[in-house]
Amino acid sequence: MNRSFNSGKSVAVTRRGILKTGLGLGAAGLLTPLTAPHVWAKTYPTMGTFPEGIKGSTVFAAGLFPITGPYASLGNDEKLGFELAIEHLNNGSQVTEAVPSLKKGGGVLGKKVISGIADSQTHSNPAVQGATRFIDSNNAMVMTGAISSAIAVALEELGQRKKVIYMGDVTASNATTGKNCQRFGFRLMPDNYMLCQALAPVLAKALGHNLKAAYLVPDYTFGTSLYTSLTNAFAKYGWTSATEQLAPLGTTDFTSYLLNIANSGANVMFNETVGADEVTSTKQAVQFGIMKKMKFVIPLLSPFIYKSMGPEVLGGMYGTMPWYWGMQEKFPLAKSFVADFHKKFNYIPRFCAAQCYNNMILWADAAERAGTFYPPEVIKALESGYKVDTIAGPVWFRAEDHQGVSPVPVVQGKTASEIHGDADNYKLVEIVSGETIMEPLKDTGCHMPSTAAA
Amino acid sequence: MPPIAVLLSQAFSGFAFGTLLALMSSGLTIIFGTLGFVNFAHGAMFMIGAYAAFVVLTYTHSYIAALAAGAAVLLIVAVVLERGLLRFYYTRPPEDQLLVTFGLSVMLIEGIRYFFGSDSEGVSPPAWGDGIVNFWGIFYYPLYRVEVIGIAAAFLLALYLLLYHTSVGLMVRAGIEDRLMVGLLGIDVRKMFLLVFAVGAMAAGVAGVIFAPLSAVIPDMGTPFLIQAFVVVVIGGLGSFGGAIVGGILVGELLSLTTAFNPDYSQASIYLVMTLVLVLRPRGLFGAVGRV
Amino acid sequence: MSGGVVARRGSRWLPEIIVALLLIVIPFGFVAAFSAVDLLSRILIWGLFGIGFDLLFGYSGLLSFGQAAFFGTGGFVTAFLLTTHILDNVWLGMFAGVVAASLFSLLVGYLALRRIGLYFAMITLAFAQLSYFIENSPLAKWTGGENGLPGVPPPTIQIGSFVFSFDGGWHLYTLIAALFFAGYVLARFIVRSPVGAVLTGIRQNADRTAALGHSVPGYKLSVFALAAGYAGLAGVLLGIFQSYMPPGAFSVDTSGQLVFQTVIGGVGTLLGPTVGAAVWLFLRDELQQIPGVGSLWMFILGAIFVVLVTTLRKGLYGTVVARWQSRVATAPAPQRASRPRAAIRSHPGTPQPTPPAAAGAAATPALEAKSVSKHFGGVRAVSDVSLTVPAGEIYAVIGPNGAGKTTFLRLLSGEMSPSRGNILLRGHDITGHSVTAINRAGIAKSYQINQLFNDLTGRQNLRIAALGRHRGTLRFDVFRSADSIPAVEESIAGLIDELGLAASADLPVATLPYGEKRRIELGLALATLPSVLLLDEPLAGLSPGERQEVIRLIRRLAEGRTIVLVEHDMDAVFALAARIMVMHQGRPLAEGTPADIRQHPEVRRAYLGGVKAYAHA
Repeated sequence: MNRSFNSGKSVAVTRRGILKTGLGLGAAGLLTPLTAPHVWAKTYPTMGTFPEGIKGSTVFAAGLFPITGPYASLGNDEKLGFELAIEHLNNGSQVTEAVPSLKKGGGVLGKKVISGIADSQTHSNPAVQGATRFIDSNNAMVMTGAISSAIAVALEELGQRKKVIYMGDVTASNATTGKNCQRFGFRLMPDNYMLCQALAPVLAKALGHNLKAAYLVPDYTFGTSLYTSLTNAFAKYGWTSATEQLAPLGTTDFTSYLLNIANSGANVMFNETVGADEVTSTKQAVQFGIMKKMKFVIPLLSPFIYKSMGPEVLGGMYGTMPWYWGMQEKFPLAKSFVADFHKKFNYIPRFCAAQCYNNMILWADAAERAGTFYPPEVIKALESGYKVDTIAGPVWFRAEDHQGVSPVPVVQGKTASEIHGDADNYKLVEIVSGETIMEPLKDTGCHMPSTAAA
Repeated sequence: MPPIAVLLSQAFSGFAFGTLLALMSSGLTIIFGTLGFVNFAHGAMFMIGAYAAFVVLTYTHSYIAALAAGAAVLLIVAVVLERGLLRFYYTRPPEDQLLVTFGLSVMLIEGIRYFFGSDSEGVSPPAWGDGIVNFWGIFYYPLYRVEVIGIAAAFLLALYLLLYHTSVGLMVRAGIEDRLMVGLLGIDVRKMFLLVFAVGAMAAGVAGVIFAPLSAVIPDMGTPFLIQAFVVVVIGGLGSFGGAIVGGILVGELLSLTTAFNPDYSQASIYLVMTLVLVLRPRGLFGAVGRV
Repeated sequence: MSGGVVARRGSRWLPEIIVALLLIVIPFGFVAAFSAVDLLSRILIWGLFGIGFDLLFGYSGLLSFGQAAFFGTGGFVTAFLLTTHILDNVWLGMFAGVVAASLFSLLVGYLALRRIGLYFAMITLAFAQLSYFIENSPLAKWTGGENGLPGVPPPTIQIGSFVFSFDGGWHLYTLIAALFFAGYVLARFIVRSPVGAVLTGIRQNADRTAALGHSVPGYKLSVFALAAGYAGLAGVLLGIFQSYMPPGAFSVDTSGQLVFQTVIGGVGTLLGPTVGAAVWLFLRDELQQIPGVGSLWMFILGAIFVVLVTTLRKGLYGTVVARWQSRVATAPAPQRASRPRAAIRSHPGTPQPTPPAAAGAAATPALEAKSVSKHFGGVRAVSDVSLTVPAGEIYAVIGPNGAGKTTFLRLLSGEMSPSRGNILLRGHDITGHSVTAINRAGIAKSYQINQLFNDLTGRQNLRIAALGRHRGTLRFDVFRSADSIPAVEESIAGLIDELGLAASADLPVATLPYGEKRRIELGLALATLPSVLLLDEPLAGLSPGERQEVIRLIRRLAEGRTIVLVEHDMDAVFALAARIMVMHQGRPLAEGTPADIRQHPEVRRAYLGGVKAYAHA
């Protein structure tokens, strides 16, 4: 617990850093302020990988994505978004053109962004393992990647401890910026609370008020967080909870939960499970005739769920996701992102790619605005409430809990006849502005630690 | 106490799941009985069966074709593995056989992941399995699951007839009783080992085909099944066909019925029963004396 | 002279010295360039985990697929105690985690060790899976469920006002390396100790080890708990190292990865798992970086594993060690020097081992069986057999194949319990006692089919047998070397002389000719210093010349010792035995002196003259 970061070394270390850039011996301390005034105007103490990580002409970004394991396709999506973002930061694109601080291009603060990717295997341990390696061996200045809240929580904790900024991408649990919030951790993706607040009015309008809802809840942080958010959001419209069925991890047979739901007298069923469980439970719900008895809603649509379920299940169904490529109708930057992405990888990006991409852009912008990679300054820039125009529309971070304020698309599944192409799965119903759906700060449970806290 | 309708449905679920587990475990058990090794790749074989079903059902919508494909693919996999690798293991200690099949299972799972990706694939039940059976208004139950019991039972029966009413079966059982004797009887042990390995693998594959419409099809789907099949054979007695069936249904029912009471402890319940069996009857319910 | 001793002392500690140097040098060496302290620490954590597993699998032959249960238990107990501040002393918390893992393993081991081989692997896997579910659902409140427990603090050392914190990087490396080294040294002690000899015996032939008076269940449970302790410590270190305890610690993947690494590196080498961990972690990291290969890294590691298991079963490190050892072995072997001085050796021809209990009161028979029966289902293998053997007598049991002789002998030795009847040793009822207890009481058996420790030398074989007599059934004398007990070495040396094995005693028994194996088989029984010796067809398969030698030997052994002999060689039986029992279809047909038996009409008809009688009919 007694970790302290020795600031006494600051001068020496900075000097050594300068020496190694090859500027020359005794004159280094005098020369540098003149040659690169905005970088060396201030001397910052050593913190985390700073300044070790920016000694050279590059800056390292670490990506921790599931390359193997059940979420590998989402991880691949993230990975491609990550790669595209780095390419755009280094070489410029329409997106970076639109961000004032990144207009000049050529990397971040004049340093080329290089990257490393490690397989998180959908588990927090390999994620932490990979991240630690990039921090220790490559002096990573920033890391991103998650696929579950467990990974996000582990990585933001690691970031806090190692003093490396973590831009959490695919994590929806409220706790990531709530109970578990960290000074070095940011989460751009709309959390469960926001997604449910966005969905509720649309769904209430479509299905009616004062309904009874049944919930199939995966029994872990994400599921219970989503359940709380849903009941909270729909209470406004007089919806009540008919039953809450908690299914533990590793459930393969949902019979008892589905029967309890079928017999609960509910008008609507919310299926909160994700990934393979989402497919299994939905399949079983169809077989048990739940769809005929009540409206079936998957509030949070996984990126590739449409392919597994087909229009028979998802056609006409309302749901949300953190980003949808159909948002390009509204946001021109999204359009250019989708086009670039498609050109490079020959498929349409899903929200994992978009989150990862956007995170890198926001981090780069903050560093540029701070004029340094020194983490506390970058954090301050991220916390400043500065709005950036991105592929998800205008976004910014709330300083108090590091939750991103980002527009949320509400979508409706297309029926078989409406589909044109592989990724053309949903109609955009509405884009809800992020500001209107944020969880009140007092409810988040976030006690933001200081930069020094371990 | 959960409502009776839930309990009855759960009992049904348990039975359907149990017969599948029995089919899977019987494959594991006859391979062990004859070849003397625990096939750690059995879960991967189950998964390959499910993928065969996914591919065939996507393109043909014929369930029969899917079953045939599941069996055929596993036959090929079994022949390749047995002739290409496992036959060199018959003279090696059982631990080596377990290790090599463990390695093979990783390769099979990751190989499938490479070709199919990690997405959950959806497989619909056949048209004749679409619908709900109403049991006298007390409870209702998806038709396909009722049929699963019949289909899995039919394959178990076929396996039983093969083992107990054919000359090949007699040899296999003789091999389970005493591996040395078979050689002495002048039976071509090589052929018999290949046959048994293939039949065992096909049992896992067919179970995978039948299971595919009930669940998401993913590369990792076999592992929990493999471990449950281990529990089944520990309870039933390794090498015992009857033990695999009784154990399978017992484990299926345990998993299912306990879910109605407290799902948190559902998984734990099967291990608890396994523990009880180990304490009270270490060789398993139907296990032969003297087998390890 | 003394220089030679020093050199040998030095070479004895050579592995420890090399490991210590590597642990110190590697960080300063080439690895420092990549500042891979993280990788190095991880390798050592897995290596420590693997040392325990190697003691279990490599040395004792117990393949557990459930080590994750103890890895996770250790880590989570420590993480829970420290993050909730139930304990604030980190060292105490670490200790608690290790103890918890070991305690949990006693429970699992008690159940899983009831079965051996593949069953054991499956049961341990099942229990690990059980712990995973328990950790994830019912205990989620305490373990953080799928989120795990972040914020595990590092330990600190305080000397006066100076506080040294093992907080990450090289600080923590020193702690991990120190614990790894301690774990390695302890394991080396165990491996070389009598305990290690017994564990090796258990791996190669557990039944024989038990029959030689060692508590096989006791040693198995002990090594299981020990391996769990290593696993627990590794789990604790992982939590501290990452300052985060991941729920995946409990998963099947963890156990699988451990098995992978151990086999890749080499089992039975202690350091093999560390080498395997290095290979695994390095390849895992590097393969991922190769475009197009990234997602196949597990597949590639799986393939490497399969190839290694198939072609290089000793593993990477194990193969190197084996090559090196065989090179050393072909050089003039210095081993003989460790043998006791010749003066202590007994004179050839004198029965060297003295029975622990002298012949005893003449009135009490050495061995008695009272109406002993053994049924297998409906089959009566032995039915109502009684015998009384006075001390010092050679008693023979003969009969046609399938008469139940061998089964009867197994009942006497305690390998089986009779269905009915009693067996008395010097008047004490030993019915139903374990084979181990009966061996300790003074009965030893030499088997019809050799039951040797095939990979060991004759001397090592005999040592395992002799250790039981001198150490008791279960003892943890890990800080002395197996060959350092003078009484044991003396008795082994005596036996080697007695059995004429001097030339071959230091060769692996698997390489010896049959006749010598047969003598070692006899020697194993003798080394336990039995007062009653059961010999099951000691002459089987021997040449006529060898037979005469063994017959002479048996006669010598009979001085001051009781012998029950089962044999088909009638000349030998009639020459040796004071009394003979004839068994037929599980029942005693006749009993008496050789002369009586020769004359017995039924025996002649049923057995001795049977063939002739039928031929005449």
